[in-house]
Amino acid sequence: MIKFGKGNLRVPQWSRRVFMVAGGCTPFRKYFPEYKLEELVMMGYKMMLEDNDLKMSPKEIKDQIQYCAYGEFADHFQDQLLCEAKIHDYLGLDPLWNNGIKTGGATGGAAVLNGAMAVASGYADTVLVCGWERMDEVDTRTGNFYISTAACKDFETRMGRIYSSYYAPMANRFAEAYNLSEVTRAKVAVKNRGYAMSNPNAQQPGHHTVEEVLESRMSAYPLRFLECCAMTAGSASVLLCNEEMAYKLSDHPVELFMAGGTHTLRVADRRHMEIPLLPNEPEGMYDDLLAESGRWPGFESFLAARFAAYLAYRMAGIKEPLDELDLVELHDAFTISDIQTYGDIGLRPYGQEPDYIESGDAYYGGKCPSNLSGGLLGTMHAVGATGIWQAAEVLWQIQGKYDKFHGDEKWWQRAGKEKPADWKSLQVPDAKQGLWISHAGVGSHVTCGILRKAW
Amino acid sequence: MSKAYEGPLATKFIGTPSEIYDDKGDFWVVDFPRSITHHHTYGLLTPFFKGLTEGKLMATKCTNPECTENSVWLPPRADCPDCYARTEWVEVPTVGKIYAYTMLDYAGIGIEMETPYWQVDVQIEGVDTIFKGYLKQGKPVTGMPVKAEFRTENPTHTILDVCWVPIEG
Repeated sequence: MIKFGKGNLRVPQWSRRVFMVAGGCTPFRKYFPEYKLEELVMMGYKMMLEDNDLKMSPKEIKDQIQYCAYGEFADHFQDQLLCEAKIHDYLGLDPLWNNGIKTGGATGGAAVLNGAMAVASGYADTVLVCGWERMDEVDTRTGNFYISTAACKDFETRMGRIYSSYYAPMANRFAEAYNLSEVTRAKVAVKNRGYAMSNPNAQQPGHHTVEEVLESRMSAYPLRFLECCAMTAGSASVLLCNEEMAYKLSDHPVELFMAGGTHTLRVADRRHMEIPLLPNEPEGMYDDLLAESGRWPGFESFLAARFAAYLAYRMAGIKEPLDELDLVELHDAFTISDIQTYGDIGLRPYGQEPDYIESGDAYYGGKCPSNLSGGLLGTMHAVGATGIWQAAEVLWQIQGKYDKFHGDEKWWQRAGKEKPADWKSLQVPDAKQGLWISHAGVGSHVTCGILRKAW
Repeated sequence: MSKAYEGPLATKFIGTPSEIYDDKGDFWVVDFPRSITHHHTYGLLTPFFKGLTEGKLMATKCTNPECTENSVWLPPRADCPDCYARTEWVEVPTVGKIYAYTMLDYAGIGIEMETPYWQVDVQIEGVDTIFKGYLKQGKPVTGMPVKAEFRTENPTHTILDVCWVPIEG
């Protein structure tokens, strides 16, 4: 069994507190030919500057930025190396230092973590975190192949050439090990696509039924099309600050705690490990589970997500995640990856993940609703932007601005859509603390960010 | 120096005009076609791919007495991640049990097998990892015993040179 070195488990200690004050994004679409990539990025960036009730003008804020962390998943999709330089110049931010961040599906989260490190270290007081993806230059099956090159090219990519085929074996394994039904999986798709109906930027909103999900076309058994996210073109931005700047810019700043974890790219290479325990998990609580499965994380769980949560909860002083978090945004690229994560981040103990859905806790009005934004299934997965957009959605919930950014006619018009007559607010009343997970590969990189009301 | 430097030059376009893919709005979307071949090395793992063409499953094992794990790796790796020693090649059994599986129904472009087909993850005695492959025939069930088959004639020189079939009885 692989054990961790004591030094490896050190909890990050930032030198300065880090805050998030603003977010912005584009509408998300499968095909977005009206705008070039840098024009799309500008749209989300300007929304961040202009529409977040900041106490300085966009030009004054621009003049405060000292560093930029840029997220882009794949040069293949952009068909442009050094996109960061083009975007940075287009946003008029030369000669400030910028870093391009790439950690697969977790690119957005990794960009936020990178920007946070810049604030925490004192490199910068005000940081732009911005990400994008333009997945509409190639047809869907070519896109599927591009994404599958984020599996091991020697031992995995040729086995499927589509990412659902790397998650589907986990879905089958999980179903047998932890008694997960297809219906529970389908409920995740119904829930998140349904919540996307309230989001003007959503790519794939829909009031579906469990039956529709289960009758939709099979991608890789047992994962159906409606259980898989789509390819997206779009961009998102958030603004990070140190304490002083945060209160200068905003009356409603939100404090950020964040950490990441990693694990093998090939699911094959996962050896049996000890389980890093969350603050609310007593020693020995998984002895029976391990005696049965003989292997952790096996194909059921994600070491990277567990490790990221292990660190982030301790950074934020969170003991009981389900009681202390008012909402979460999870990386529901597939219904199964969403469900697998419930155990990793302690919304349920390992082995009881399906209950988070079945109990109603995961729904609006429940104990800790997930993916009220519509998630990746309903709203977007413009990969480099995803983890940044998720953060913005949590930020707005805590700031009480869900309705402002989802209900205002302005955003429906920008997206070229009509606001539905039965539009429903998904603002969590008095939300104080939320979490978001940004996730790559078959769990190769995961970030866990926690946002807390700070006014 | 080439003669071209000596006098005025008339430049000729020798490319292929880009097709307009979409001009149904106020924008043009144009095609950038290409065809590319990469030359990819298997490096120190070459014996594994050669082994497939000889009907063998070659794994690597860390034999360093100082190593806490001494894991057996399949897919192989040349360097032990636990102690950083160079690993050694070992031949592992060509039988195993199905640990997980999926049916590949809708695949990305360039897929080299006719869809649908079963992709399987196989647990092999004495191997610390779980090896991904495909099932040539039959229907997988968790725990089902399988044996490896190899494409020793007309090999693809890729991971597709090994597959699995159910062990009867």
